[in-house]
Amino acid sequence: MSMNGEQIPDEIYFLCMLHNIGATMPEKSLSVDEISIWTAMDPSEVEVNLQKLVKSKYISVNTAEGTKRYYVTTDGIRKVLSMYS
Amino acid sequence: MRICMVTWEFPPRIVGGIARHCYGLSKALAKKGHEVHLVTLDFPGAPFYEEVDGVKVYRVKVELGHPNFIVWTLLFNHFMEKRIAMINRDVKLDLIHAHDWLTAPASISSKHYLGAPLISTVHSTEVGRAQGLRTPDSYLIDGFEWWLTYESKRVIVASNSMRYEIEEHFHVPSEKIDVIPNAIDIERFQRHVDRVQVRSKYGVGMDEKLILFIGRLVPQKGVEHMIKAVPDVVREHPEARFMIIGEGWSRGYLESLVASMSCGDKVRFVGFLPDQDLVDLTLSADVLVVPSSYEPFGIVALEGMAAGVPVVASNVGGLSEIIEHDKTGVLVYPRNPRSIAWGINRVLSDPAYSSRLIQNAKRKISEIYTWDAVAERTIKVYERSMGG
Repeated sequence: MSMNGEQIPDEIYFLCMLHNIGATMPEKSLSVDEISIWTAMDPSEVEVNLQKLVKSKYISVNTAEGTKRYYVTTDGIRKVLSMYS
Repeated sequence: MRICMVTWEFPPRIVGGIARHCYGLSKALAKKGHEVHLVTLDFPGAPFYEEVDGVKVYRVKVELGHPNFIVWTLLFNHFMEKRIAMINRDVKLDLIHAHDWLTAPASISSKHYLGAPLISTVHSTEVGRAQGLRTPDSYLIDGFEWWLTYESKRVIVASNSMRYEIEEHFHVPSEKIDVIPNAIDIERFQRHVDRVQVRSKYGVGMDEKLILFIGRLVPQKGVEHMIKAVPDVVREHPEARFMIIGEGWSRGYLESLVASMSCGDKVRFVGFLPDQDLVDLTLSADVLVVPSSYEPFGIVALEGMAAGVPVVASNVGGLSEIIEHDKTGVLVYPRNPRSIAWGINRVLSDPAYSSRLIQNAKRKISEIYTWDAVAERTIKVYERSMGG
């Protein structure tokens, strides 16, 4: 997807999907496998995107029963909204 | 009147101007004795129901998700529609007021089953935001926007440039459109701040010139052109410091652009700021730049004017209607870094000129751009749509 000549980075498009799925708070966080199913993306590709987004604080991680689970932060939500507002 | 305001953005869910517009208008309508029921989306930490300054705010929980944005939009509209129906069971709503395409499906359905008139405010258009319709999503959004204007009894826009845009693009009959400018809460900017303390919090000294950008970091806002103007400003004013406030999908690109510049250390990205901090910084700045290439209104320019900060803005859309060049601000060519730099340098180099702009701008703001005036004009539109 591109807007106004600039390309929306893949990880932002991925962030948008995670937001639309509803993973926007800790109790709705998802594992890599769950995200992979929702987005029809390869788990390794999911991990690469998640790594970038966690680093920029648009995604947070919590660990439940030894599994890392991810959700979009409020800054991440604002980032997504900026695409369509 | 019992008004149902429908918007996807309402504080604390703030991205652009829609949230602040809906808050300001709803609060002013409630103050005039109208019953305002505002339906919006949930946001982490915000209650599902609360009363804010007399406005009944319902935050809808979206119980279904889908990775596709358009499908997700339809899903949250379904939940909004259910909420509106529940409100109408207790209160007979007189009209629906929708804000932008994102709430079009819920608002249009509600209009039909409630038998209440639908009024819409078009804050911007997809064809304008994206400077063309290049993607399948853009075509879909454009279709939703047309549908909303088609189904609305009256369409409100904030500037004449938007009136021409929707007349031209959606073929909306001219007599169906009302132009009501945006407004701001002037009181927010009428307080004393300790400029030394505010500036030092962000690492800016009193001997430096603080130049602000506030807005979404997306191409239509023209931040890229302001960044490219930095070397020309720094050459003339080595004490200049640029601060970019806001979030958006272009941030990564803009940060890499700054990193590639020799004077990149003069620019700082601050991200999203809460309202109080935003006002403090605006009151402490030396120049506010609004370098948009597309701007249906430009509420941030009004905020700068109210805060007593000289505004340098692109001569486009609503900005050219708000600002009188050389009287209430400086208008520069859009997408033109040299012109933007010229505008900033002009203000920084001539304190007498700068304070003249500030005085004129403050006078204009207090006469025209108040929420009370906007609410009065909006009520007239409501009455007209109800056959009054």
